[in-house]
Amino acid sequence: MSIPSPLFNCRQATLLIERRADETLPFKTQVQLRAHLRLCPYCRRYAFQSLFLARQARAAAEHRVPADVVLPPAARQRIQQALDQRLGR
Amino acid sequence: MNAPPDRAAPTAEPHLWLARFGDELYRYALGRVADAAMAEELVQETLVSALGALDSFRGQASERTWLFVILKRKLVDHYRRQARSPFVPLDLTPDHAPEAAFFRPADGHWHPEQYPAAWATDEAGRGDLALEQQELQRVLQGCQQRLSAQHLAVFVLRFVEELPAEDICQELSLTAANYWVIVHRAKLQLRRCLEKNWFQLPSPRQT
Repeated sequence: MSIPSPLFNCRQATLLIERRADETLPFKTQVQLRAHLRLCPYCRRYAFQSLFLARQARAAAEHRVPADVVLPPAARQRIQQALDQRLGR
Repeated sequence: MNAPPDRAAPTAEPHLWLARFGDELYRYALGRVADAAMAEELVQETLVSALGALDSFRGQASERTWLFVILKRKLVDHYRRQARSPFVPLDLTPDHAPEAAFFRPADGHWHPEQYPAAWATDEAGRGDLALEQQELQRVLQGCQQRLSAQHLAVFVLRFVEELPAEDICQELSLTAANYWVIVHRAKLQLRRCLEKNWFQLPSPRQT
């Protein structure tokens, strides 16, 4: 299946910016995308910001929960009961 | 025939799991799902499944590592359930697709009012103070919660859990083409949301 040219199309260019993170694009498409990015400051920004976003989302999951947060006592008790039941205690 | 192990494999100690690893598993889950009740449930599911799968614990990995592998599996299941619950077919017709809000359907150029603005994310920008970083991540998480369940599932599995695209397509029954469309839409929406709610607000240091 041939890939529509991203040369003059920002919608297609930004789609391919996402796609190239997962797979190698055909050579011709890579050339067209690079040419587009040279010409288009908005898609250049998109490309940079898209990576920035992904990095921040990963960091957010890691840092969102402070290290002193603990399992609430009620949940702990419930889980212990579920485990004890299965451990035959 | 399996050769007998030359030394005894470490045995799991399930009765100590909750005390040893409960809080850590809970914090991990809590950073990745929307609410505390869901995180608690994931911890419970993880430990209960681990009990049922004790035979597969061979001691090559530590108990802790093994439990985290199971928790990550539970997170994928969670996102798969979420993505599938109200099934929303993808609208791929150019005029009605969400992309039309960002790009002119006729030629695919950005609508001028949707031009990505410059973000101050460089060294001198506002993004590098620890406190502001935290605030930015809070805003981003808020933006993520506004994505549809399916878009959120794809985004989290790809960019937070860092699963390969192929696995995500399989887990969520997506074709590769639909997967890229969803990644693109999720990124477009998050980008705009973050720009509106973070980068366009006056920074305390810029006044």
